Amino acid sequence: MPNELDLFQGTLDILVLRALSHGPMHGYAVARWIREGSDGTFRILDGALYTSLHRMDEKGWIDAEWGTSERGKRARFYELTPAGRAELQQRASRWDRYVSAVALVMAAPARA
Amino acid sequence: MRRRQPSDPLPLSNQKPVDEDVRLELAQHIEFRTEELVAEGWTAEDARAEALRAFGDVLSVSKECRQITVRARRSLRRDEWFGALLHDVRFAVRILRRAPAFTLGAVMTLALGIGANTAIFSVVNGVLLRPLPYDHPEQLVSVFEATERGGLSDLTEPNFHDWRAQAHSFDGMAAYGTDIGTLLGADIPSRVRTAAVSEDFFDVMRVRPVLGRLPAHDEFRVDAPPVAVVSYRFWQDRLGGTQEIFSRRLRSNFDFQVVGVLPQGFGFPDESDLWFPIELYGRNESRTAHNYAVVARLKAGLTPLDGDRELDALTVPMREQYLPRFDAVGGTVAPLRDLEAGPLKEPLYLLLGASGLLLLAACTNLASSMLVRGAARAHELAVRAAIGAGRGRLVRQVFTESLLISTLGCVVGLGIAVLLRRGLLLLAPAGMVPLEGAPFDLRVLGFSLLLTLLTAVLFGLLPAMRMSSVRPSQAMREGARHSGTRQSRRLWSTLVAVEVALAVILLSGSGLLLRSFSAITRIDPGFRAEGVITALLDLPDASYADVHQAVAFHDRLLAVLADAPGVVAAGVTNRLPLEGNSPGGAIQVEGKPTLPAGPFTGYAIYRTASTRYFDAMGIPVLAGRPFNDRDRANAPRVVIVTQGLAEREWSGEDPIGRQFRVYGMDGGEEPYATVIGVVADIPHGPITGARREAYWYPYSQNPARTRSMKLVVRTAGNPAALAPMLAQLVHDIDPQIPLEFRTMDDRLASSISDRRFTMVVLASFALVALLLAGLGIYGVVSYTVAQRSREIGIRIALGAEPSRVQRLVQGGAMVVIGIGIVVGGVGAVAGTRLMRALLYGVEPDDPMTFGLAVGLLLLVGFLASWLPARRSAAIDPVRAIQSE
Repeated sequence: MPNELDLFQGTLDILVLRALSHGPMHGYAVARWIREGSDGTFRILDGALYTSLHRMDEKGWIDAEWGTSERGKRARFYELTPAGRAELQQRASRWDRYVSAVALVMAAPARA
Repeated sequence: MRRRQPSDPLPLSNQKPVDEDVRLELAQHIEFRTEELVAEGWTAEDARAEALRAFGDVLSVSKECRQITVRARRSLRRDEWFGALLHDVRFAVRILRRAPAFTLGAVMTLALGIGANTAIFSVVNGVLLRPLPYDHPEQLVSVFEATERGGLSDLTEPNFHDWRAQAHSFDGMAAYGTDIGTLLGADIPSRVRTAAVSEDFFDVMRVRPVLGRLPAHDEFRVDAPPVAVVSYRFWQDRLGGTQEIFSRRLRSNFDFQVVGVLPQGFGFPDESDLWFPIELYGRNESRTAHNYAVVARLKAGLTPLDGDRELDALTVPMREQYLPRFDAVGGTVAPLRDLEAGPLKEPLYLLLGASGLLLLAACTNLASSMLVRGAARAHELAVRAAIGAGRGRLVRQVFTESLLISTLGCVVGLGIAVLLRRGLLLLAPAGMVPLEGAPFDLRVLGFSLLLTLLTAVLFGLLPAMRMSSVRPSQAMREGARHSGTRQSRRLWSTLVAVEVALAVILLSGSGLLLRSFSAITRIDPGFRAEGVITALLDLPDASYADVHQAVAFHDRLLAVLADAPGVVAAGVTNRLPLEGNSPGGAIQVEGKPTLPAGPFTGYAIYRTASTRYFDAMGIPVLAGRPFNDRDRANAPRVVIVTQGLAEREWSGEDPIGRQFRVYGMDGGEEPYATVIGVVADIPHGPITGARREAYWYPYSQNPARTRSMKLVVRTAGNPAALAPMLAQLVHDIDPQIPLEFRTMDDRLASSISDRRFTMVVLASFALVALLLAGLGIYGVVSYTVAQRSREIGIRIALGAEPSRVQRLVQGGAMVVIGIGIVVGGVGAVAGTRLMRALLYGVEPDDPMTFGLAVGLLLLVGFLASWLPARRSAAIDPVRAIQSE
């Protein structure tokens, strides 16, 4: 897929947090959500997702627990903790400011 | 980017699930993806390959995930541990606050134990453990001559010079002597401690002046102009701490000039303020006049024993050459510390050991009250066990309570230690323990912290294990009252027996010291101390350069005192009883071989006295006559001897009219003197020591040492009240003489004050131990009665005599007490052997002392068990049975 983009550093975390803000999910569902939500734009190796999940688990932003998937298989489910929710909010607002600032500059008219 | 994986501290059993979790999670992902791709129409094989490709490096991802998870779990466990600890402490505080009486009692018991130990240890630390404040103090040694008489003595001057020149074991050897002199020329006439030292002294001690210089080589000569170095303290206090001291002339034993100031804190020997070259005091070539104390520095790596051996070897040829005017058989080298610690060593270690036993008693006492409480709390603990608290958790909870109690005990104990230490130092004989010599340093604090932990383990762990082993089902069904099983009763009995045993040991030890002390106070000293006041008459050498001036002074003073109101008799002597065994030397009796072959036994203590000295001191004249006014300088030479000397030299014959003379004293041989009287033997040194043979010359016939004499006045009334008048009479003759009065009773008391000190401290430990034992017995018997009230009620209901029940209860307690007494008796027999050196007039296994200790414990044990046992007889059977 020649049109794939690399993710900026730290962007993966915010996507994972956002995915989990809809409710508990296992790792594969998160991966699918990002792939489908971005229309396959990003070049992410699925493995990176798991290190991200585990790191945020360590930081206490998400909790992990074994459960049963919709297809009846055992899977590890991740859930946002209150700390994770706060972290998502903070990062999301920073992201918005970043994007709109970049957009603003890009759309600025040429200097007279 | 590969990092070395840190060795993993997690046990295998915990690591396995982590590995498994990660492996499973990642495999799941691959599987899901493959399935999805297959559903989209991929072949199974291609789908799996694509899933793996999309995942990336499975191995490194799984490794990284595992590391993160392991790290997370570890920190989680740490947080949990601290959380639980905090919880335990909070819970313990709540439990202890709910039982304030118990908590207060426990904390105070421990505080007393820890306080006593810390106080004693601070003194031990200051006096025995602290390094001497000199450079490489472990190399510093004292050197003595081992003499034919079996003792140690200072060195003679020629022997010192020979050893110093010949011995290779030392990096230097220096002689010194001390004196207390009068200082003139500073602000006010005052008394100073002076030292006379040989040239190597400052090198051996490795001390350099902070101001000025040391005496030069040329100034260590008999005829050199006198110079001195002074202590820092003396420079500050007496000389104003200025730089202009070098131009001032001061007068003490000599007219001298100050040439240097030694560093702050240096005062060896005996906290001296002035150091003179020893040569200024003249030479004495006698090899039997032991005048030089010697300090030396061992070469690095050598031990005192090496020094001993070399000096012994050097002595052999010297002995052959100089016999019979030679009395050394070898040399003895001992660490300087031993000299400085002196007689304190044994009493202090004894007290430290005793305070340890006291702390053990306190812990035992606490352990038994913890057990009693534990039984009362069995229900609570059972509930907690039932709802899932593990045994380890319960042990930890109960142990936290103990630790909290001992921490509080330590804090209060440190406060008590500060007070006790002050008390100890006040109680201690003057000069026995320097106040600054017992600091509360880190070592003392560490010691008390260690004690705190130790006590918590001793009194806390055992009950914690016991209490936590309750079976929930049983304890909850039976309720608290019946949970005192036979096993825990046996444990209580053991604890009570231990308390009794410790009390027996401490009581026996202090009983022995008490009996020793009482034996010492019953000693007939050979003189009568009551009504006698003494004063040091230190005539400034500078104004009494000619000894005949000193003789004239004493003649005049005694003449005035003879008629003074309130004075029964007055005299002077060079040394008072109890002041020490020196000086002394060999005598040669007329008519006996001039110098007997074989071991030389002619040693006797040399004294001078005035005519009425024996009346004034109350030393009975047993035969012949005391000195009288006709025994003048130009009259025939006379001498008075002790009974012991008379018996040794003329046993069975009349000593009166016999003659002897002295070798080597005061240089050269003297003419014969005739024995005119025999007096009782008196203790020249410690009152408990051997009464050495001695003789007295009239001071007028042997005036060499009359510049420093002691005034002895027997008074009709209170001796201390006469001091102002006596001072007036002395100062009427010479206002420049400083005076310090002391009654002879006071001298006698302070000569045994170290013994009194040890005895009082040990006895108070013993009393506390006795009290603890009594309280322990009372507590356990009370509890047993309360616990068995139902059983007792049934017995009484079935017709048992209440008095019989009471005897049964008390009998059980007395058996335990008896066992404790037997065990303690064995311990005491073993322990008191160690204190033999501190005993006088009583054997370490004195049956009377042991009997008294046992009797006292039986009495206390009987009372402490009788009071609660009596309650058992008063139990109302109906209520006792219904109360369940």
